[in-house]
Amino acid sequence: MNARTNESWLEDLRTPGPVRDAALDDLHAIVSKGLPYALSRWLSPDDPLFTPLVEEVSQETLLRVLDQLDTFEGRSMFTTWVHKIAIRIALTELRRKRWQDSSLDELVDNEENPAPERLMADPQAGPETSTERADMLTRIRRILDEELTEKQRQALVLLGLQDLPMEEAARIMKTNRNALYKLLHDARLRLKRRLAAEDLNAQEVLSAFESR
Amino acid sequence: MTQPQNDTDRLPDELIENLIRSLEHTKEEECTCDEVYAVVDQYVEAEFRGEDVQRLMPLIKQHMELCHNCCEEYEALLDILEKNDPA
Repeated sequence: MNARTNESWLEDLRTPGPVRDAALDDLHAIVSKGLPYALSRWLSPDDPLFTPLVEEVSQETLLRVLDQLDTFEGRSMFTTWVHKIAIRIALTELRRKRWQDSSLDELVDNEENPAPERLMADPQAGPETSTERADMLTRIRRILDEELTEKQRQALVLLGLQDLPMEEAARIMKTNRNALYKLLHDARLRLKRRLAAEDLNAQEVLSAFESR
Repeated sequence: MTQPQNDTDRLPDELIENLIRSLEHTKEEECTCDEVYAVVDQYVEAEFRGEDVQRLMPLIKQHMELCHNCCEEYEALLDILEKNDPA
């Protein structure tokens, strides 16, 4: 079944009836065989969720492949393109689940224990903080306040502080992953230009941060 | 779920340090996540063949340095090609 060329995959998947069904069966086998390699960093194969996830993602992948068949440009092997689609589906689901689980843990923590340290951190505190470091942090906070928009600050908090996956942060901000990346790129550019205007660069700022 | 906070003063020092560190990879022109997704299959195949992807597709490589999600997807795809290789 691996002998199909890109052209024969496309032709078979565009032929209704037994030809398409056979191609879909072969593709299902290929996706199901490949996915465990991609998921093993995320989920143990012994996890009871592993096999159902592989099957669910494989089925969803086939639907998306049929839906997006006309967008395949033939610049990679067809099966690599299909694996790419499967990975996007699987990792989006795993990130969402992992974040939901950690949010639940955090809620339980808040009911029974103090909030996580990272959310309670007092940026001004820390007897070990040197004057140089404290001064630079104050300066950078002022620059962030002056340069970043409210949306850019919100994105930083969601991604960097609350540790949301891009898709979840984008959903909360009523945007999409691509637009969120552009928003953060614009934030980084504004910050970089402002540092340059103040005769600073990232290395100098980081050096000051490291002086404790 | 904790509500979003918009006050920069509440950002932990570590987050600010990471933001500053990311400036070292920040360029005027960068690929977006959609642009990377469109070619990541070609990128991974080129890397799998041993080609110099940093030279061939420098903007993709640079995006991976900054975008954790895209980098994870690239690594997962490379895992499949490498471990699924019949050779």
